[in-house]
Amino acid sequence: VGRLGRAAARLVPAGRRDWVEAIWAEADDVPSGLSRLAWLAGGVRVVAREARVARRIGRWLLFAAAVTGAVLATWPGSLSGFATAVARIDVVTVVLVLAVLPWLARWFLGPASDTRLARFLRAGGAVAALALIVAKATASRVVYAPATGVWQGMGRPAREFAWFTQILFLVVMAVYVAAILAVTARRSRVAPATLAIGTGAGIMLGTVMYAVAPLGLSKNATEPWVAGSAIDPVVALAWILLLAGPAVAGGAAGRRYRGPGSPQQLIHARIWQSVVAGLLATGTGALIVAVLGTGTVALMPRAAWLRDWLYPGQHLLAAAAYHHELAASSSIGGYGLILIAFPVIGLVLGFSGSAAAMESPGPPPEAGPA
Amino acid sequence: VGSRSEFSAQTLAVLAVLCEQPSQWRHGYALARQTGLKSGTLYPILIRLADRGLMEACWQEEPVPGRPRRHLYRLTPDGQAAAAEALASAARPAARAARPGRDVVKPVVSWEG
Repeated sequence: VGRLGRAAARLVPAGRRDWVEAIWAEADDVPSGLSRLAWLAGGVRVVAREARVARRIGRWLLFAAAVTGAVLATWPGSLSGFATAVARIDVVTVVLVLAVLPWLARWFLGPASDTRLARFLRAGGAVAALALIVAKATASRVVYAPATGVWQGMGRPAREFAWFTQILFLVVMAVYVAAILAVTARRSRVAPATLAIGTGAGIMLGTVMYAVAPLGLSKNATEPWVAGSAIDPVVALAWILLLAGPAVAGGAAGRRYRGPGSPQQLIHARIWQSVVAGLLATGTGALIVAVLGTGTVALMPRAAWLRDWLYPGQHLLAAAAYHHELAASSSIGGYGLILIAFPVIGLVLGFSGSAAAMESPGPPPEAGPA
Repeated sequence: VGSRSEFSAQTLAVLAVLCEQPSQWRHGYALARQTGLKSGTLYPILIRLADRGLMEACWQEEPVPGRPRRHLYRLTPDGQAAAAEALASAARPAARAARPGRDVVKPVVSWEG
């Protein structure tokens, strides 16, 4: 039992192992028999408590449930169909990415930050990736259904391009997951304030972008839920958040950073905080609008209330509703463009925002990043 | 720091034992015997006290031949002050309860030995 216990001590974070080893060391003095067994059982309780076994098990169960749900939603269908084949490749790849990348991140970047926001970002990223592939599979089935004749009408170059875009989507998803793991790794030295500012700006951008483009980027497909020029202020706000948000977030994150080191190190650290904040602002925004938008498109055929909200005052006949669904499903590629373009914009603007951070006074010596 | 509400009765018991001879290092099994606490209760308390800077811990420098090195504990100066205050405030209600005309209630923790 003692040997097992010593092995179990490895489950505990390095800073806590002394305590567990202390319990096993004391066991030698406890009278053998039930007393010693009770002492060792107490040690096992401490291991379970310090290793946060319950939380780990709960996390894995939630992940398994989410994966099962995603597989059940995407797997059915004939493998000969393009949409089904893509859906199955998507779900297998994304599940592998979500399972393997955290191990690689731990290997290369050390342990993950344990703040609530970092945990929220990692869990949110995983949920978003799974939700996105489920919604995308549903929309693809509408577009590539045999009745539409879309796939049959495509020539070889068009089909190759369709496969290329699917592979590109998976690469983009992997990059998003990797980026979230990287910015929430302790060794990345991203300050909690930077995470908060970037994520907050991203949630605002994503929500407003969704209000502007709830059904992809095509005007024909969208027919905005706020009709005519009434949507213009929301569109203007979306542009402001996209073009000014990352710079402001970057500037604020850089200015707020208080870390140790020489003035030169401080400059580099502030630029890093600004770039990460800009990237988070647009990356989070892109992920939110892509998930909400694609999810809305996927739900349209099933939810009459959603059609009523999107097309207020219009009593859609079945044919018109199907037309809207098909048009919207064909437009979700626009979200793919957003997923690629937004982070690039965020990187550039976040970096430019770091200029504002340089004017901020030097740091007090005691503070630092997470 | 150490108001009565901050510490459980078990933590007060541990503090009381550690307060007896504050400069002396003690090991876990001795603390368990003196407080009557099981290892699964005692060690989380010790961990919390160390996390709060109220107790220091170290490994025995010269182990006894034939047995593993022991992990040793004693209160820090902050810990001694916090323990004295917490134990005093824990004893006060008991003293009030023991006044003539009232039922005698035993103190939550006694640190006299």
